[in-house]
Amino acid sequence: MIGYVCKYTPVEIIEAFGEKPVRLDPGYKSYEHAEALIHSNMCSFAKGVLENIIENNIEEVVLTACCDSIKRLYDVLKDKVKFIHLLDLPRKKGPLAIDLFYNEIIEFIEAYQAFKNKNFAEENLLKILESKSFNKDKQSTESIAILGARLKDDVIEKITNSCTAKVINFTCTGEQRVFNIEAKDNLLKSYAESLLNFTPCMRMAEDRSKLINKEFKGIIYNTIKFCDFYSYEYAELKSKADLPLLKVETDYNDSNSGQILTRIDAFLESTGIKKMEKQKTKKGYFVGVDSGSTSTNVVIIDENKDIISYSIIPTGPKALESAFKAFEIALKNAGLQERDITSIVATGYGRVSIPFADRIVTEITCHGKGAFFVDNAIRTVIDIGGQDSKVIRLDDSGNVIDFVMNDKCSAGTGRFLEVMARTLGISIEEMAKVQREVKENITITSMCTVFAESEVISLIAQNKDQRDIIHALNKSIASKAISLVDRIGRKGKYMMTGGVAKNQGVVYAIESRLGEKLIIPFEPQIIGALGAALISLEGK
Amino acid sequence: MDTVKIYTNIIKDNMNRPEKVNKLINFGLTAAYYYVSFFKDKRIPKSLHYLNKYSIKSIKDSLANPQNSAWVNLFAPSEFLIAMDIKPLFIEAYSSFMSGFFIEDYLIDTAESRGMSNTLCSYHKTFIGASELNILKKPKFMMTTSMICDANIPTFKYLSKKHGVPLYIIDIPYKYSKDSVVYVKKQLLEVAEKLEEVFNRKLDIDKLREVVKTENKIRALMKEYLNYAGEKRFIPTMTFEMYMLFASHVFIGSKEVLHFYEMLVEDIKRAPERSGKSIFFIHLLPIFEKNFKDYFNFSDKFHIAGSDLNYDFVDEIDENDPFKGIAEKLILNSFNGEINRKVARIKELIEKIKPDGIIQFCHLGCKQSMGGTFIIKNLASEVGIPFLYLDGDCVDKRNNQEGQNRTRLEAFLEML
Ligand code: SF4
Ligand code: SF4
Ligand code: SF4
Repeated sequence: MIGYVCKYTPVEIIEAFGEKPVRLDPGYKSYEHAEALIHSNMCSFAKGVLENIIENNIEEVVLTACCDSIKRLYDVLKDKVKFIHLLDLPRKKGPLAIDLFYNEIIEFIEAYQAFKNKNFAEENLLKILESKSFNKDKQSTESIAILGARLKDDVIEKITNSCTAKVINFTCTGEQRVFNIEAKDNLLKSYAESLLNFTPCMRMAEDRSKLINKEFKGIIYNTIKFCDFYSYEYAELKSKADLPLLKVETDYNDSNSGQILTRIDAFLESTGIKKMEKQKTKKGYFVGVDSGSTSTNVVIIDENKDIISYSIIPTGPKALESAFKAFEIALKNAGLQERDITSIVATGYGRVSIPFADRIVTEITCHGKGAFFVDNAIRTVIDIGGQDSKVIRLDDSGNVIDFVMNDKCSAGTGRFLEVMARTLGISIEEMAKVQREVKENITITSMCTVFAESEVISLIAQNKDQRDIIHALNKSIASKAISLVDRIGRKGKYMMTGGVAKNQGVVYAIESRLGEKLIIPFEPQIIGALGAALISLEGK
Repeated sequence: MDTVKIYTNIIKDNMNRPEKVNKLINFGLTAAYYYVSFFKDKRIPKSLHYLNKYSIKSIKDSLANPQNSAWVNLFAPSEFLIAMDIKPLFIEAYSSFMSGFFIEDYLIDTAESRGMSNTLCSYHKTFIGASELNILKKPKFMMTTSMICDANIPTFKYLSKKHGVPLYIIDIPYKYSKDSVVYVKKQLLEVAEKLEEVFNRKLDIDKLREVVKTENKIRALMKEYLNYAGEKRFIPTMTFEMYMLFASHVFIGSKEVLHFYEMLVEDIKRAPERSGKSIFFIHLLPIFEKNFKDYFNFSDKFHIAGSDLNYDFVDEIDENDPFKGIAEKLILNSFNGEINRKVARIKELIEKIKPDGIIQFCHLGCKQSMGGTFIIKNLASEVGIPFLYLDGDCVDKRNNQEGQNRTRLEAFLEML
């Protein structure tokens, strides 16, 4: 086998040699070998490839002069694998560029012939190219585009499986590899030319705006940390904003994480192309289960959308057990049996592990749904839960049209407050009491829980008034929330949901930053479950 | 509060009024220019003083007359611009000056809020931020090469589209061959044509030859300078090694730079003998990093022996066919192509200079540089010179972990 990464790699030449080209698609969580060989601030995809090659003892590698990371990957690998070859890849088209690339291909063939002691036969290449010739399937179905930096194969597959539209993958992993070789007398040159004619990646000099079709139902834009090429195009698309656009930021190897898939799912839901199972039932009782990371909440409604009962319990170590328990409590409160229930929708982090649910929907859609149901003037939902926070934008009909979630850390969440309450030596309830007057207006500069904690410790050491410290902490949560709101733009009315909405101090702090009142529902923790129950009833 | 801080705050308060900020920046540059003109620091050799003024002036000139200016990157072949009397503004220089004015944070935040990745090199983010805010007036033309740095093509493509300003991308192959020279030469001919069209004036080929001739003379002087660099203590602050980039790159080929190098060679001959420990730098010097400033600026214990970036091309350019000559120069740059080229150049330089230590400051987001760190480390251990690499940011001061770096830098310097 020969490992490669770039779509411009002459894969068909490798095949013509009778060898197996394998596109490397690493999925590492740590880079033990790689970071011993290359600086840790390199792009994580390149590091993953390096890890993969070393760990699996891959002996033959072909690279292109794609980017600085790959070029340096080549330098590092040069004396570490048996065969490594780098093809220079022109950024322009035109006869001279084709000549250059053609020479590169010849050079590669010669190098590989020498290494393997094997001859290259053009007939083989021709056969292979003919088997990959154009078939003009004109599908004018709805489609969704994936642009930006390379997206992992399994993520692409998951998107394809969960949406009704055709998925067009424009990233490095998505080329169709079809050829239409006319000049058979100079096969290698026409092959070089057709490779250069692939959909241009961002590395190329060519303008890519022609890739954007106004008919797309949406664009999922992938970016990878320390990859420079793609953010520019995102910035451009964002400033135009004429198509629904979702930016996912990954370090490549974690792109199939739950958080990212949730965001993608919610995006598919909001653009109306999420695959949905058929719903028939309309009578009886409907349940929403919100299996969150800190609490599990269940709401039961009847066919008139009246709330019959609800339950809120802390999520235990096993999400499923907690879900059962919360469900039982809600049934009991309502005086119902399980057989009275028509359908159940699960949402929240643990949603996939709830076998008794008929359907699963992301918490983003559910929160939007629940909030709009409670008050149809709501355009922005600020949800701050135990371990994450999000801001959801609704349109005039209550559809989710945009959303942002916080990063993977606990900054600005309920967890942050819990840690701080512990540091201050008070209960979370005590901490939640109204804080309007302050003696001294302290500001906590670190957003990060760990650093903020040490700031609090030093404030305590300086004998600062506890109420002032709490006030400062509330302001810190508020500023994190406001920065999320500002990422999708301000628009009232605002509803705040999630456990932290019960904290008056935080509510005041956010209100004063927004300059507007927040609507707090009667029970802010069940809005997601309520939305799920409504979806269970409406079937959409 | 010192003057610079007051000035910084005034600029920041006016960010929503680009016209005013533009004027303020011009004012800042003018003030800096007069400051260096009138308050000659006795510790600074005449040549470097001249270079300091020249660098400030060159930025001022291009900002003052955007209609006669072109945006470029450090590696772009500005010979054409000099021959046609067009004023280049290079990204790296502008961003460094903005960091000098302490407004880089604002500009970077602006670029990031428009969608730029926060891991992108801060030279580029600062420049983009300034252009987003329209503090930078659009030029008449943009020109970049594809070599060495990933950020160039996308930054220039983005800016050119945004402002509707014509851009020429010169694609520089990674490998040197007859065909690759032909490929680049053809593009250089196109650049010249494009420049003639946009600026509505002719490129006088004799003038271009003259520029290349001057450039060759300068490179000869550079070599002479290097003969002394190992024996003398000369560069007083990190900033000067970075100012040298104006002379060794974008403005090489101008009469002023020739004059500068003539003075430089004279100055270094007269400089005091080497004393203390001398440090050779890989790629960039962190001119705003506090620890480095404390240790290297005007220090007699540690001095700056040079940076390989100033010597990325040391050969002669073909004067008869300047297009071909410049094409070769671009492809053969020691930072282009396999790292072996760069390693070989560093080896030559340290053999000549014989530094006591080598430091690589890994500028955040600069993968071409940090990707080779461990290889250069191997080279250093081969030749038996202590090597240190530190992470940080040459522009965005917020990215410098000063406490951490201090310990490591101190320990390294103690070790020497
Ligand atoms: S960005 Fe372009 S050159 Fe780089 S790996 Fe992807 S397809 Fe290849
Ligand atoms: S993700 Fe970007 S930086 Fe990383 S290897 Fe691909 S093109 Fe290069
Ligand atoms: S520091 Fe590196 S990434 Fe930044 S402009 Fe220079 S070469 Fe490019």
